[in-house]
Amino acid sequence: MRRWLRPGDIALIILLLLPLAVALPRLGGLAGPPEVWLTWVGRVTGILGLAMMLLAGVVSCRAPGFDRPFGGLARLWHLHHWLGFTAFILVMVHALALGLAAVPASLDAAVATLFPPVSHGSIWLGWLAWLALVVFLAPTFDFFGQPHYQRWKRLHLVSAAALLLGLWHALLLAGEAWPWWLLGIAGLGAIAWRKGVAPRRRHAYRVEAVDPLARGVVELVLRPEGGGIRHEAGQFVYLSPLDESLSAGRGEEHPYTIASAPSDSRLRIGIKDLGDASHALQTVTPETRVLVEGPYGEFFGRRFPERDMLWVGGGIGITPFVGGARDLAAGASVDGHVHLFYLASDSVRAYYREELEGIAEAHEAFAFTQHYSRERGRLDEAFLREHCPDYTEREIFLCGPPAMNAHLRRLLAGQGVPASRIHSEVFDFL
Amino acid sequence: MNMNKIAYSVFIAFVASLLTLISVSALSSSEREEADDEGLDPITLDELAEHDGAESCWKAIHGRVYDITDYVPDHPTDDEVILEWCGREATEGWDNKRPGVPHSPRAEGMLDEYLIGRLVDEEGEPVESEAATEANGNANGEADSDQARLSPAEDERLHRALLGLPLDGRYRGVFGDGGEMQVNVQFDLRDGQLSNISYRHLAYRDVDYRRLDEDDDLYPVWVQHQQLAESLEGQPLTAIFALYEPERLAEDIDGYSGATLRGNKVHSAFRDALNRGVYSWP
Repeated sequence: MRRWLRPGDIALIILLLLPLAVALPRLGGLAGPPEVWLTWVGRVTGILGLAMMLLAGVVSCRAPGFDRPFGGLARLWHLHHWLGFTAFILVMVHALALGLAAVPASLDAAVATLFPPVSHGSIWLGWLAWLALVVFLAPTFDFFGQPHYQRWKRLHLVSAAALLLGLWHALLLAGEAWPWWLLGIAGLGAIAWRKGVAPRRRHAYRVEAVDPLARGVVELVLRPEGGGIRHEAGQFVYLSPLDESLSAGRGEEHPYTIASAPSDSRLRIGIKDLGDASHALQTVTPETRVLVEGPYGEFFGRRFPERDMLWVGGGIGITPFVGGARDLAAGASVDGHVHLFYLASDSVRAYYREELEGIAEAHEAFAFTQHYSRERGRLDEAFLREHCPDYTEREIFLCGPPAMNAHLRRLLAGQGVPASRIHSEVFDFL
Repeated sequence: MNMNKIAYSVFIAFVASLLTLISVSALSSSEREEADDEGLDPITLDELAEHDGAESCWKAIHGRVYDITDYVPDHPTDDEVILEWCGREATEGWDNKRPGVPHSPRAEGMLDEYLIGRLVDEEGEPVESEAATEANGNANGEADSDQARLSPAEDERLHRALLGLPLDGRYRGVFGDGGEMQVNVQFDLRDGQLSNISYRHLAYRDVDYRRLDEDDDLYPVWVQHQQLAESLEGQPLTAIFALYEPERLAEDIDGYSGATLRGNKVHSAFRDALNRGVYSWP
């Protein structure tokens, strides 16, 4: 999925290279003694590093719809993650290269370049920015095991300080200010939007019903208080329950996939007990409020609209396909035929089976096959071939536990299906 | 290897490299003391003003004079920017690469390569920035008023003067002969001991020994005079009588005795300095 360059990526690359392109004529050439190219490397990595830091801020804005040109929010998070860490690496190369470039003058000059008198405040601003980076990145180095997600999110706000200090450092030292103002306002503006404006723009819903589907799985039926969100099948939202009686996760936002059709007047969300917050939601009180932000993602983003589709959902990973099937049932038009395989351990855990079978009976364009791993073991090639002979020719959408995804990707690759024809949005803690 | 691990490895490598750089620098810097300003050639504003162009560009920065002629073509800006300050006190330009932004420590390191002397006024006194001069003036003023309050029973300077003993302070004296000044020395007395001995002038028959090149025939004479001064450093004042037998103080006596400058001229200049009395108070 990542090998595909999206329109958003191209915009990002242009913005990333903008400060460098403006500064490059001033930086001179690489030819000459080592200190000349070390200086060049030091400056280029500094410029790129700060640009990446600021763009990592920009892409973290999580404005609904902003993720679409990047191929969905999950992919955008990967970009954010990659930009942030690369920036961290580059700023360290930047400092070390400039320090080493002064070694031919003298060792003292090298140390003084990195740690000048306090009067050279601009350099110290750079150090403070680096320190801020270390502070909020340290938990990801796994010194103390996996960080607590909500605490980690709060700590991540230190990144705003890092951006501000880094920007200040650059504005004092760089020759050209306007690219930095541009990226700086974009980056810090995105963080301000995320933390200041976005929480107030969430949509209020009421919990109309909590339908138990199986042990540890419920479907929340949400009724909008106002306009509600407009979404496509397979997208997801961030949900913050406000129920006072919740044992955990009250007011915290977590991502959940929408299982209802876009035309449905209610928002239906399948929730499996996977952690403290989703466990508490199993018993959320009806008629309490939840706040919904979104939608995000591009689950059914087609690359080969001329082909038929194969959907494979496992466990709670069936929810985006339920949304897709309900969309079909509601009369949405789809390019080509759809065949959905629902992988569950047994009939008790196949909680959406009856509804999906009903849709398949009523609609010719939609076929449904149930697979029980307790009876047949893992899904294999023969089973796929038997029920869907042309599956290797189809555009394929996967959603399920990581082990299932990995197994299916191997299976499909073994049948010569190119990776570009396989979609899956994977949510990991980044 | 995922991104977190790569970043963590780079982080550790970065910190380790910084610590290495700092410790190597700290361990080696003890060998390289800052050049003492007193050991630098004095250069007046008039001399400085003669080197005001691309063919020869001298600049005075923070009381020191640099010949940056060779560096001008390498400077990152247009030549005019750097040539504008040739032949004059250029501290302001140095401290304001852009308004309020001084040159980097690295540039300071490069500047040291071009050091040729220290800036002095017509009397040979160091020329410092105005702020520094003011600070010194204030400090001296306070010291004087402290001294004024001493009783005659405590004032050691008074005691030494009444006994005819040389006072602590800076001294300057000359030896001249045949209508020509040949030796001009400067030294400090601290508790009766010599320090900071330097030649402000050393010449004979129009040869300025301090300006000789290393390959000049008479250059060893300049070296020997420096040896004389060095060997007297830290000695009691009476050691100047050793100058009557300079072979006790300088190494290469063959070259020395062949020359026309003699230890007794230096001795005479020291005596002249003592006769004149303290030139400036410590």
